[in-house]
Amino acid sequence: MHTAAIDPPGVQWLRVSPKYVTVRLVEWAIGNVITIGLFSLPLLFVELGWWKWPPLWLAVAVPAAFLLLALWRLVLIPRQVRAIGYAERDDDLLIRRGIFFQRTMVVPYGRMQYVDVTVGPVERLLGLCTLKLHTASAGTNAHLPGLPAAEGARLREQLSARGEARLAGL
Amino acid sequence: MTQEQTAVDGDWHRVHPASPFVRGWVALAAIIYFFGRDTFERALQGRGTMGDNFNERTVWLLAGGGVVLLLALGSFVLSWYFTRYQLAEGYVRVNTGFLFKQQRQARLDRVQAIDIVQPLLARIFGLAELKFEVADAGHSAVRLSYLRLAQAKQLRATILGRAAGIADGSETVEVPEAPEQVVLYLPPGRLVGSLILSEQSFFIVLSAIASVLVSVLTESRAFILYLIPAILGLGTAYWRSFNTGYNFTAAISPDGIRLRYGLLDTRAQTVPPGRIQALKVTQPPLWRILGWYRIHVNVAGYGEHHRSEGEHRTLLLPVGRKPEVMMMLSLVLPDPGTADPERVFTAGLTGLDSSAGFVTTPKRAWILSPLGWRRNGFFSTDTALLLRSGRLWRKLVMVPHQRTQSIAVHQGPLARLFGVADLVLHTTPGPVAPRLIQAATEEALGLFDQQAARAREARKLQSSEQWLAQLPPVAMPAPAPPTTHATQRASTQEEPDHG
Repeated sequence: MHTAAIDPPGVQWLRVSPKYVTVRLVEWAIGNVITIGLFSLPLLFVELGWWKWPPLWLAVAVPAAFLLLALWRLVLIPRQVRAIGYAERDDDLLIRRGIFFQRTMVVPYGRMQYVDVTVGPVERLLGLCTLKLHTASAGTNAHLPGLPAAEGARLREQLSARGEARLAGL
Repeated sequence: MTQEQTAVDGDWHRVHPASPFVRGWVALAAIIYFFGRDTFERALQGRGTMGDNFNERTVWLLAGGGVVLLLALGSFVLSWYFTRYQLAEGYVRVNTGFLFKQQRQARLDRVQAIDIVQPLLARIFGLAELKFEVADAGHSAVRLSYLRLAQAKQLRATILGRAAGIADGSETVEVPEAPEQVVLYLPPGRLVGSLILSEQSFFIVLSAIASVLVSVLTESRAFILYLIPAILGLGTAYWRSFNTGYNFTAAISPDGIRLRYGLLDTRAQTVPPGRIQALKVTQPPLWRILGWYRIHVNVAGYGEHHRSEGEHRTLLLPVGRKPEVMMMLSLVLPDPGTADPERVFTAGLTGLDSSAGFVTTPKRAWILSPLGWRRNGFFSTDTALLLRSGRLWRKLVMVPHQRTQSIAVHQGPLARLFGVADLVLHTTPGPVAPRLIQAATEEALGLFDQQAARAREARKLQSSEQWLAQLPPVAMPAPAPPTTHATQRASTQEEPDHG
């Protein structure tokens, strides 16, 4: 398993479902087809002779650069999904993500104000859900995507129960 | 009249009848100006309204104006009639609106802060607006505008008394206003000085020099014309700072910290003890000459959404010398959790390297912040975490352990190369964003673990929301004064005891 430098030692991480890669792929495809399509329009217009500017090399270079970037992101997706992990400890929940820009976060159960479970269309097809924790801080951007629906429901109940038991004010 | 009674449990009250006019006077003035100007101007010119054509037009104008005015007045009266508030069972409820009704309720023991605001016009009429904040980043939970000043103060005392747990709602009404002790007064001279030496002045001087240079080089005078709107804008900015910062007074009372300020519009804030989520002390470079500092705080509910007024509401100390900073710190954090707070805080404000036990960025990572690496550091007392940063713009952030919401460690590729990581503490929205910059990875991880544990311990020790409930109850004042209406007493006796 992939454990990086900034993970607290001795934590057994649970990983999100590998099927989440598919969700990310769909998002990737939709986002990039639109972007690259838009940036290819000048190329089309130049080819058709409608536009005098930009020069052909520029009209080719811009979408090509975006295509390269998109492919680079595509290669990273499976690793990024593998890097998402969470661990339930006695008093708090640990969430980690990222390969290059890593982030490890701890959210105490007693600090949770509410727990959201959301399901998007692609996620529903694959039986996945996204869990989101809210504390009084807007900075707590704690969401766990790609959980199997059953695991999401279990975690929600578990977190709510633990939050109830350790509830503190602000 | 319900005017004189405040906050009898279960009774509904109306706000002051003049409030819609105070709130909507601009609209009224606009209507009168728009429709009345023509007539007025002609009268001034001595032409009278006699001319044939003019006469008809004037009548139409006046009639139209009258209708609009009547509509406006009618809506004012309706909005007043349907705005009612109630204080009962540990909740405050406010009903508003006649087409779209809205009922808001807020739990008294969740109060984060109470403000009494007096805009100039309200002040002239002796009215005040009461703002009641609960913890929901942004929107004022409850606004009551307008009440008589004395009534607003009484209501504030009652709410705070119940929130603190010394009044449980079973007694009649009159919770005494907690006595206060003024601890700080900001003389206007220093306020002006702080404005002159502020960052914005620095940039003004810089841009003035630049514009003079440009106009000399291009030999064009027209450039100066562009400066006029800029100067006007800056003038209003300075004026706003002066207007709000004037007469800044800080006082302590059992209800918490009280701040009062304002020249034309005045505001009195009360922040109950332990409601300050995070604090930062900053010092712009120019203030260093005179040894001045400024303190901002995060209070849940002040939020950052209404920025224009939020900016001043989060200022705990607009400008102050070191002793005043120390005093404010001791008010916010009564138990500093170290044997020598003076030394620790001084090291936090001005220190470098490992003075007083601060742990700084390791030397290997100096290139990541060549100026700041000797200053970026942290120190953890038993009750709070201190984070300091900034060589030129000095900054010290303090977060009490039991106020930490969640914690994250961030590390990018460059930071990983140098073996450093950032630690971010999440707190309620506000001007303070606590972040430990470039600590050695092992230090950051150690702190990450310890801090989570410390926050847990501190939360367990934290007493109930009702901060005075543990203390023996304060002696209540003599029962209702002779002027109190008999009906009032009867109605409260019928109320079940919700304590």
